[in-house]
Amino acid sequence: MATPDLPAGSELNDRTKLERELLATVKELKDVKAALDEHSIVAITNPAGRITYVNDKFCAISQYSRDELLGQDHRIINSRQHAKEFFRDLWAVIGSGRVWHGEIRNRAKDGTLYWVETTIYPFLDETGRPVQYVAIRTDITKRKADEEELQRVVAELAEKNKELEAIVYTVSHDLRSPLVNVQGFGRQLNRACDTMRAAVAAAEAGLVPADKLQAPLDTAIPQALRFINAGVNKMETLLAGLLRYSRLGRVALSIRPLNISGMIAEIIAATKFQLDEVGAEVRVDPLPTCLGDNVQTSQVFGNLLDNALKYRDPARPLRVHITGSVESGQAVYRVADNGLGIAAEHQAKVFDIFHRLNPDSTPGEGLGLTIAQRVLERQKGRIWVESRVGEGSTFFVSLPALDSRGKTT
Amino acid sequence: MSTATAPTPTILIVDDDEGHAILIRENLRAAGLTNQIDHFQDGQAVLDFFARTPRGPETYLVLLDIRMPKVDGIEVLRRFKADADLRKLPIIMLTTTDDSREVDRCHQLGCNGYIQKPVDYERFAEAIRRIGLFVPLLLVPQISSR
Repeated sequence: MATPDLPAGSELNDRTKLERELLATVKELKDVKAALDEHSIVAITNPAGRITYVNDKFCAISQYSRDELLGQDHRIINSRQHAKEFFRDLWAVIGSGRVWHGEIRNRAKDGTLYWVETTIYPFLDETGRPVQYVAIRTDITKRKADEEELQRVVAELAEKNKELEAIVYTVSHDLRSPLVNVQGFGRQLNRACDTMRAAVAAAEAGLVPADKLQAPLDTAIPQALRFINAGVNKMETLLAGLLRYSRLGRVALSIRPLNISGMIAEIIAATKFQLDEVGAEVRVDPLPTCLGDNVQTSQVFGNLLDNALKYRDPARPLRVHITGSVESGQAVYRVADNGLGIAAEHQAKVFDIFHRLNPDSTPGEGLGLTIAQRVLERQKGRIWVESRVGEGSTFFVSLPALDSRGKTT
Repeated sequence: MSTATAPTPTILIVDDDEGHAILIRENLRAAGLTNQIDHFQDGQAVLDFFARTPRGPETYLVLLDIRMPKVDGIEVLRRFKADADLRKLPIIMLTTTDDSREVDRCHQLGCNGYIQKPVDYERFAEAIRRIGLFVPLLLVPQISSR
């Protein structure tokens, strides 16, 4: 820049230099502010929190005009998603002259919510008291949505992983077992064929001695066929069960308030024939309402009643007592029977996939309680058992209780 | 302890699968074993057997499946190895899975061998035959602490 020729050290020269420096500083500040406005959502408030300045980005994201915002405080965009303490803490920080950083969820004029990462910088007077607050924000709505999506995917993956573990375990143990029999007894059939072929080849004049054929026909072949058929049926059952189990995760849940008393009355009505046949009595106390999926929860209680019937003590008529209460936000239901009971050391196993306590004396694929547990976990619920051999079992089912907020909607 | 007085242990097959038990027994016989062979349907049954059998000079070799109703093989192994007398029982896990975590678990609990039941029959027969060849070489302790 050209400088007029002035004697160095003159007063005029000093003032001009000062002015130029001042102008340069002002220009620099303007540029910084322009850059800031280009990138961030900016608002300035007075010490009482009244808005004294907003930039265009603030107007754009909040959908309020500058006139609507100036003179208001930030409650105009309060989303009511944060606790009162959140803002109390914020004010405590900036009121004492310190910088506040955080993430705030705000509400735009049309009611939509948006997230901003926020820095509030207090401008202080010479005594250290704030004279105004400059709030600089960045729109992170997309990032927040991505984070929520990520958490959902992580939870879903964890569930899938659990499912996969169960399937791998089953494939490595349960599916191989029948194959050993199919292969092994297939070989027995081969041997029986060899024996009979040798007898036929050795027969004189086409007369095969009956005693040579008797053993394979009466013993070896029927035994082999019995084990091969049983093995194939077992695999069929296991595969069907595995598919049923693995498809559970795909069923969309419809969570709504559930009238469990009504649900259990329906289940009892549907199993009336089986209950009457064994002279069973089911007593149901008043039950709390919970939140869950109607179809899946109904299957859980149906399965529990079915188990009570299956594992009843033949020495006495079956009595089932169903009670419920609300304990720390969870509705807990108890299905208590006077059946055979489960020994302490077997109790943890009853929820294992394909585990069955009495495979020979009761029908079933060993999937009922496994599915019940999975179905309840998906609905933020739980199932567990307390039992004594010879006295009976009590199965506990917990699901989120219908809270006061739920009651009013 | 004297092993010479009871050189042929009774072989206990603990397996809920009757077919497997038959195939194991037949292949042990085919390998030339003449030992007494008993079969138990699940872990509870073999635990009950030892609970009611007085601890005498008899010797046993246990072939133990893992996946069984009621008490599984891992639990049987744990209980045997926790018992002052029964811990001496040689236990060979004979099971369908080759999952390395299961193998590790059984060895940590003190099993004396872990053999997978191969699905392929030739290999299955060969595995059992080798157990059969191995058994006469074993010096099996009496379980009685007397």
